[in-house]
Amino acid sequence: MIKAVARRVAAGAVVLWAAATAAYLALLAAPGDIVDAIIGDGADTPQIRAQIITEWNLDRPAIVQYLDYLLRAVQGDLGRSYLLQRPVAEVIGEQILPTVQLALAAAVAGVVLALVLAVTTRGRWARRASSTAELVLVSTPPFLIGIVLLSVFSFQLGWFPVSGDQGWAALALPAVTLGLPIAGVLSQVLRDGLDRALDEPFAVTARARGLAERAVLIRHALRHALIPAVTLLGWLTGVLIGGAVIIEQVFGRPGLGQVTLQAVGNGDMPVVLAVVVLAAAAFVVINTLADLAYLLIDPRLRRS
Amino acid sequence: MRRIRPAVVITTLALVLTSACSPGSSTGSGAADAGQPVSGGSLTWAVETEPLTFNPHQYAQAKARLLVGNTFESLLTHDEKGGYVPWLATGYEVSADGRTYTFTLRTDVTFSDGEKFDAAAVKANIDQFSVEGYNPAVLAVQLRYLDRVEVVDAATVAFHLKQPDVLLLDFLSTPQGAQVSPKSLKEAKNLKFGGPDLAGTGPFILDRYTAGQDVHFVKNPDYNWAPSTAGHSGPAYLDEVTYRFLKESSVRVGALTSGQVQVVEGVPATDEALITANPQLTLSRGLNSGSAYSYYFNTANAPFDDIRVRQAFREAVDVDAVLKGVYRGSATRAWSVIGPTSPFYDKSLEKTYSGDAAKANTLLDEAGWTTRDAEGFRTKAGKRLTVRLVQSAPFVRDRRDVLAQAVQAAVKQSAGIDLDVALVDQGTATQAIADGAFEVFDNSRADTDAGAALGLLLHSGGAINRIGLKDPALDEAIEQGQASGDQATRTEAYRKVQKLVITDQALVLPLYAPADQIAASNKVGGLGFEPTAGVPVSAYNVWLGK
Repeated sequence: MIKAVARRVAAGAVVLWAAATAAYLALLAAPGDIVDAIIGDGADTPQIRAQIITEWNLDRPAIVQYLDYLLRAVQGDLGRSYLLQRPVAEVIGEQILPTVQLALAAAVAGVVLALVLAVTTRGRWARRASSTAELVLVSTPPFLIGIVLLSVFSFQLGWFPVSGDQGWAALALPAVTLGLPIAGVLSQVLRDGLDRALDEPFAVTARARGLAERAVLIRHALRHALIPAVTLLGWLTGVLIGGAVIIEQVFGRPGLGQVTLQAVGNGDMPVVLAVVVLAAAAFVVINTLADLAYLLIDPRLRRS
Repeated sequence: MRRIRPAVVITTLALVLTSACSPGSSTGSGAADAGQPVSGGSLTWAVETEPLTFNPHQYAQAKARLLVGNTFESLLTHDEKGGYVPWLATGYEVSADGRTYTFTLRTDVTFSDGEKFDAAAVKANIDQFSVEGYNPAVLAVQLRYLDRVEVVDAATVAFHLKQPDVLLLDFLSTPQGAQVSPKSLKEAKNLKFGGPDLAGTGPFILDRYTAGQDVHFVKNPDYNWAPSTAGHSGPAYLDEVTYRFLKESSVRVGALTSGQVQVVEGVPATDEALITANPQLTLSRGLNSGSAYSYYFNTANAPFDDIRVRQAFREAVDVDAVLKGVYRGSATRAWSVIGPTSPFYDKSLEKTYSGDAAKANTLLDEAGWTTRDAEGFRTKAGKRLTVRLVQSAPFVRDRRDVLAQAVQAAVKQSAGIDLDVALVDQGTATQAIADGAFEVFDNSRADTDAGAALGLLLHSGGAINRIGLKDPALDEAIEQGQASGDQATRTEAYRKVQKLVITDQALVLPLYAPADQIAASNKVGGLGFEPTAGVPVSAYNVWLGK
């Protein structure tokens, strides 16, 4: 058991290191250097360049800077943002909570909606209507969904504020916007799984025992249908992180999405690296959770 | 020190009166309903741009000026005509050789952290720029001729220059030259970022900032040193003001129409109709100072090393038609590299060039670009007539990428010129500039004194002279404009500059004068634009009617 956990942690550490290194190399290979990024479209003279190089210790070879970065990162020092002139840990630290809130709320909204849709729309017409709606949701850009929801529920009806510090009310629309495409994909996967499970012999046995169709569906078939859905957890993380960039922009919410967008556009290396490492860590954690969830859902896996 | 030319600034009633008719224009059916100014209330203002920093010394975004101006003030400010008006300084004198500027300071000013504003504070602020890495750009550009700052007495401070530089006054009237509490300069946790722990002398105090969401200011009740151009004296009308960062224009407009915010900054042409159609809302526009948004031609590369091709490119674009297509008539056309609101703007350049397709084709024929390829572009010796424009995506605003596409279509259709537009990240753009892999460079600058922009963009030693100009006649004219304090001499110098780059050498295609828009509920009064700078004013004179 301890061995398994240790292997898991070591693998996680390797993933983090690989992600940081890959991001570092990608940024190094991108056109223009750090001095260019700091200068932006402002004044540019050799004197200014020299000052920037001294200030940020950019006169050292790339490999030394890389090792120095790794060494500091291990000690928890993520460096200072070129663009914002503040410690990266501080920038990320104050932006992470709103993004986590948004991601969790969106995930819950998406999963609950998917479950409800997959279980309730079993009839021929309901299924057709639901499938069409899901397809529309999946193929509509979140940006557009956000604007439509805002115009109806915020600008017209005035039920929710557009953004800001109004607590849970301000979280509702962004979470639904981000959750809808997730529900669209998950409910289709679940419905397929349910269809397959209901054709299996165990479903016939359960029915033969006199179990009501609804009970067969929820107690037996749903469990089978969940396995492929859980496999999608990794994908879900990606959608949540990527979607947050757009949702935060549309709704004027604080969060990592905005920070990342700005950092990538301006070549703010320390921030980009920190976000990449953070995203990799989230993937590692979520995939571990997914593996544990398999054990929970399917007792057969526990024995092997 | 011999002081022969006392240029003590005197304010007159006329200035106060003219400040009411700023370069802005108001449209919309909802005439100001706000009535007489009222004190109290809190206002929410949606802005497009979240400042990268709240430290005025680090200020580099014209769109951040209305926020920075709430907390920080400068020694001087501008009047309508580009002249200087006392603010934290009561006046200044220039020595005969133009190398010493002596300022007398107000003695009744305190920073919001209780520190006294005096000559030592001014010296501490300017000396801060010599701290390595604090702001190398200001040190290398605005303060490059500064020798030292001398505290004469508590209320008198002298700037000693290595050579005459009238733009020092401009610097001391911009946010970058604003006064930060010396205590904050020493103790602030994130000095270069600013925020709540940076104290200023302004009418509001920044007390809360949530990155990505909003920034909140409260009234400074002790404030009593507004400049004569500010509209009133004493503390601000509003008790508090919140600026919310809403980057999407349609969301900003929706928040305004649904009453969630009372003022928005940044209304694109496509959304203007939503505002003007609503009787509860007003819309006003202010033209920015500085340089017009222009295409600068890189003469180091073919084909723009040939003046006929440069002239042909300008003739091939019907700028009015292009602007109308992209901005639906809300953009103001520029005819010179200097914006039309500047006192140095040469009006005689208007309608002297551009928009003549026949002339463009004749010029290109003369220049030897006589054959055409399969796609209809002109060629010479098998080489296509291509010019490259590289735009850096993070700095594109006002739909300048769309404008570039419209110009691209225009020059292709009317003269067979291939304008190759690339929208890229900042690193790629800088690389292209460094490699000289471009023929067109686009830029606009919001300097209050347009001379500062010309020095940066067109002087051989200019820090943003990306097209590598090295013209002794041009340098001389720009230097004359920067060395003299006499308005007539400066106007003549900058007239020469404009004639050289627009008429004689066709180095620039000016497109439009950048503008800011404010839309507001008609219950809000006192909104407007800074005299000369043309950017939205701070919240000092704004009130919320009942």
